[in-house]
Amino acid sequence: MGPGSAAHHYVLRCVRGTRIAMNNDTNVKLRLSNSELWGGLIGLALGGFVIWSGWRIKLGTINDPGSGYVLFYTGILMCVFAGAIIVSAVTEGGPTLASRWENVRWSKPLVLIACLTAFAFALEPLGFLLSSIPLMLLLLRLIDPVRWTLAVPIAVLVPSGMWWVLKRLLLIQLPSGLFGIG
Amino acid sequence: MDTLLNVAHGFGVALLPINLLYCFIGVFIGTLVGVLPGIGPISAMSLLLPVTLSGTPESGIIMMAGIYYGSMYGGSTTSILVNIPGEAASVVTCIDGHQMAKQGRAGPALGIAAFGSFAAGTFALVALMLVAPKLASLAIAFGPAEYFSLMVLGLVVLTFLTQGSMPKALLMACIGVVLGLIGLDSITAQPRLTFGRMELIDGIGLVPVVMGLFGVAEVLLNTEQAIKRDVINTRITHLLPSKEDWKVSAGPVGRGTILGFFLGILPGGGAVVASFASYALEKRLSKSPERFGHGAIEGVAGPESANNAAAGGAFIPLMTLGIPPNVVMALLLGAFVIHGLQPGPLLITQNPGLFWGIVASMYIGNLMLLILNLPMIGMWVQLLKLPYNILFPLIILFTILGVYCSSNNVFDVHVMIAFGIIGYFMRKLGYEPAPLVLAFVLGPMMENNLRKSLILSQGDLWTFVQRPISGACLALALVLLIAPLLPSLRKKRELVALDEGA
Repeated sequence: MGPGSAAHHYVLRCVRGTRIAMNNDTNVKLRLSNSELWGGLIGLALGGFVIWSGWRIKLGTINDPGSGYVLFYTGILMCVFAGAIIVSAVTEGGPTLASRWENVRWSKPLVLIACLTAFAFALEPLGFLLSSIPLMLLLLRLIDPVRWTLAVPIAVLVPSGMWWVLKRLLLIQLPSGLFGIG
Repeated sequence: MDTLLNVAHGFGVALLPINLLYCFIGVFIGTLVGVLPGIGPISAMSLLLPVTLSGTPESGIIMMAGIYYGSMYGGSTTSILVNIPGEAASVVTCIDGHQMAKQGRAGPALGIAAFGSFAAGTFALVALMLVAPKLASLAIAFGPAEYFSLMVLGLVVLTFLTQGSMPKALLMACIGVVLGLIGLDSITAQPRLTFGRMELIDGIGLVPVVMGLFGVAEVLLNTEQAIKRDVINTRITHLLPSKEDWKVSAGPVGRGTILGFFLGILPGGGAVVASFASYALEKRLSKSPERFGHGAIEGVAGPESANNAAAGGAFIPLMTLGIPPNVVMALLLGAFVIHGLQPGPLLITQNPGLFWGIVASMYIGNLMLLILNLPMIGMWVQLLKLPYNILFPLIILFTILGVYCSSNNVFDVHVMIAFGIIGYFMRKLGYEPAPLVLAFVLGPMMENNLRKSLILSQGDLWTFVQRPISGACLALALVLLIAPLLPSLRKKRELVALDEGA
């Protein structure tokens, strides 16, 4: 399975990027920059919240479990697993948060996240066409810039074409926004 | 005789023009996503889940199934020609497949991959036809305790096989269960974790969650690096393997097929594990294992057959027990549920047209794939040159439209974007989304069966241990949970750990 493992690593490096590189990073133990520690702490907080939610909804009894029964015990399991992650992070250490984004173009996903968040807020007030055309143009120009002569027609024609197919052929109403466009 | 009549009925359904069209669309898209690195069958199926709403249940499910087994075929093309697996099940094909291509034997490598896949796919279908009705009649006797324990086993196997640490995978599975429980309690109708929002009363939809975690997050991860591809430029000839190639490959194809089929049936397993296991088996059985890694055709024939047989085998637990053994089957379950159908022991008797139609369509789909992947190989090679900077924005747009069209609700688009961002950070921190999605689908069913069992047994937890099938499932799950604590078993687990999302 040696070569298989190597190939597995290969695809992760090619398609996903960073995770293999992380194995060689400097481990940190009881430091705030330990990403494993943060992962565990978030899990612990979520587990605590789920336990509280289950308790609040009502557990019932083992003969007649209530709506919160499974939530409560799942929350306990979450805390156990998060605890195991934290213990491992403290005893064995883990890569720093910064090293997770080392040697990759971290700004690209950041730009994409910003564009998607802006789109999420703009979709309802502006409607599908007025929000998706700028989104497409931004994505085409900001990730790995496509030349303007290609980016503009794609950004305009693809959303418009999809809008036409959905609205006219499939009779699906996309959000038209405050301006009623689309 | 009954089986033959049923198969004939199935072909009657599958050969309807509309179903043939959907089958072709499915296998075509499957090959497409298999060929394109970075987009796997999970992303494609989640993207097209809303499309299944537009047709009959048969058409939609035939298309979704076609995407899955089609991607198994397509993945080998990229592995052999570019040395980048199109999807996770083709990782091992890179090792010897690309070496063969470098030695000018890309044609036989592609040929044996396609013919081996066809043989394995055909075997899996025949076995599915024979095994599924028998298992379904057995499954009628299953009670809630058996279902609960089977689901627990499925989740534990998946977390065992998922890349990264086991506590992380288990934490993901628990989060999936919690997310699945959002909305009204099916027994008491009490709202849970809805935060007073009406949109959450019916729970979170599978489509936005999966599209976010696998579609948007995938694109976010892929934008981090400029994907470089070095496509083999020589003309592809001799797609029909020689007599010598056939002689060497017959054994690996047969063994890979049987091994893959049984690994596919197991909950949590699937095509990726099957291909790795087949490669290891062939290397171990070979008289000259040193050829492996340097262009041995057995290293292509075995794994490619195994992953296709596993894809067929994975339908058995879904169709007969209603339990999806992996994320892809969970999506297929989603397609069933969208149409108000519940796969399980009664599906075959209550909906014979649907069951046998799907099975027959898979056979037709395998034939279509053989034609798509051999004479039309040039088209897929050209496709490998498609620029990603255009493809990724298009994927984002299609995911947005797909999610919106599935519910006509902007809230679901927000959910998808949120899960996309969460999924990206999860993967950066080494948390795989596959256990979360499977648990998200299984969570409500698990809760239902657990509560029913406890009510029926009057709170006696021994009911899960005393019933033989349930007890065996839980014992196996316990062994797998303890296994990573032993260093030797932990190493083995790391070797077979799989990356579901690719």
